[in-house]
Amino acid sequence: MDIEVKGHSGCQIDVVREGSELYVYKSSCDPGYLGRLVRQAEKQREAAIPEYQHIRVPRIHAIDRTDGKVQVKMDYVYSKNFVEYFEQAGFEQVRYLIGALIMYLEREIQSSPLRTVSRGIVTEKFADVKKKTLGNSILRDDAGTVSILERSQAVFDALDDMLIPVGMCHGDLTFSNILFNGNNYYLIDFLDSFIESPLLDIVKLRQDTAWLWSQLMYVHPFDTIRLRIAFGTIDRELDRHFTHRYEWYGRYYRPLQLMNFLRILQYAREPRVINYLKQTINEQLKEL
Amino acid sequence: MSSSKNFNLIVPAASDKAGHDGAMPPIFAPGRDGMLFCVKAVTGLNLDTFDNICFTILRRHAEAFDIDTLLRLQFRRLGLDRAEIVVLDEPTETQAETIARTIGIRGMQGPVFIKDADGYFKADIYPENGVAVCPLESLDLVDPRNKSYVAVDDMQHITNIIEKRVVSHLFNAGGYCFGNAEDFMNAYDSLKHLGQIYLSHIIYSMLLDNNTFRPIKVSGYIDWNIK
Repeated sequence: MDIEVKGHSGCQIDVVREGSELYVYKSSCDPGYLGRLVRQAEKQREAAIPEYQHIRVPRIHAIDRTDGKVQVKMDYVYSKNFVEYFEQAGFEQVRYLIGALIMYLEREIQSSPLRTVSRGIVTEKFADVKKKTLGNSILRDDAGTVSILERSQAVFDALDDMLIPVGMCHGDLTFSNILFNGNNYYLIDFLDSFIESPLLDIVKLRQDTAWLWSQLMYVHPFDTIRLRIAFGTIDRELDRHFTHRYEWYGRYYRPLQLMNFLRILQYAREPRVINYLKQTINEQLKEL
Repeated sequence: MSSSKNFNLIVPAASDKAGHDGAMPPIFAPGRDGMLFCVKAVTGLNLDTFDNICFTILRRHAEAFDIDTLLRLQFRRLGLDRAEIVVLDEPTETQAETIARTIGIRGMQGPVFIKDADGYFKADIYPENGVAVCPLESLDLVDPRNKSYVAVDDMQHITNIIEKRVVSHLFNAGGYCFGNAEDFMNAYDSLKHLGQIYLSHIIYSMLLDNNTFRPIKVSGYIDWNIK
């Protein structure tokens, strides 16, 4: 059997057989990334402790840090990626997934007390994003990008302090970071987030379900229409669920989704990705 | 214009593929019994079940090959006084669009059964959501790659329908029933902007929206392979 393992963070990924078990070794020698990889592994280790229905987190077995290298050993999971899963998932499987995601996010929310997040955190983040975007040689002279930054500035200037749940957060909860094994879903690639809020996980999930980001990044041919139908259903269910239950969701989802896409735009270099991001952000700005 | 909640049968025969190169599509050719393939396609059904029977063709085919005249001769031969012809002025992008336009033009309400024009089967059709299915193992020779497949649970509900991926031993034999034309139209309208949608996409979308579909078991399946 071929085993395909890919990373998005630039880390080295190795699958190693030890006895009868397979393990993933994720490592980095990038001095600027060492501390971050340790924080991510610790976050994943903590997330693997509670038990969820259908949602699983691969166990972290070791976090080894030496002078110039961090190496993290974790369980290997036999699985499908999101396209392989959705191309074959029947309606019951999609409904299981929706239920499991909502239960996971609800657990995060219940474990995260409502706290006031200063608007300064958001405006500082936007200032940093703006600086990096204008430092991107492809974007800095682009009138469309400059217009996006100006209109986004107005959105964040108008934002108040936010009363949102703060505590638990995967940090990068896109479908690219979910492995599918039957009706079990394995969350991988935890990340530190500029606000550790479950709201940011909803934002990342809807980055895919509403805005189809991971589909854009997928390089092999697939039934795009089938996936859009499934994602549309998931998106409606997520949005309906959280809109009905949480006032903070209705109030802050959109500005934080805008920030999320601006944070992707700042590093974008590929024309098709830039076009997609500009179109997506412009649509979001119209809704704000 | 007929407008009723009666049971409607639609045979979409408005394909205008580039591969035909201006020639008459083979579904309008006669078999050895003198019957056009697209008409033969419905003869395995109990046609008394249907209140309206509608063949949808293109004006270009009607004018170039007198298809409407040929069809009327066949209707007379079979005694199908309820059969009608809808002529579309322009080719459609998808089979789903052909059906949507037929429903719109004829003002159809109530249940609709859609029968592909390029194959034959026998089945009893009831006015409820369903997909005609045939087990792969019942055929001696079959190309499994050009079909859609249907998964069915133990309660005889369809749980999945997928294009060109063998996820089940049941393949779609080319028949689709919608208990209500309006449900089909609503699903079609919500998906048409996505491009080349198949009927299987529409049914998958309706499954996700909690609609129930039953398998319609067929016998005597023949794929003429003449699209």
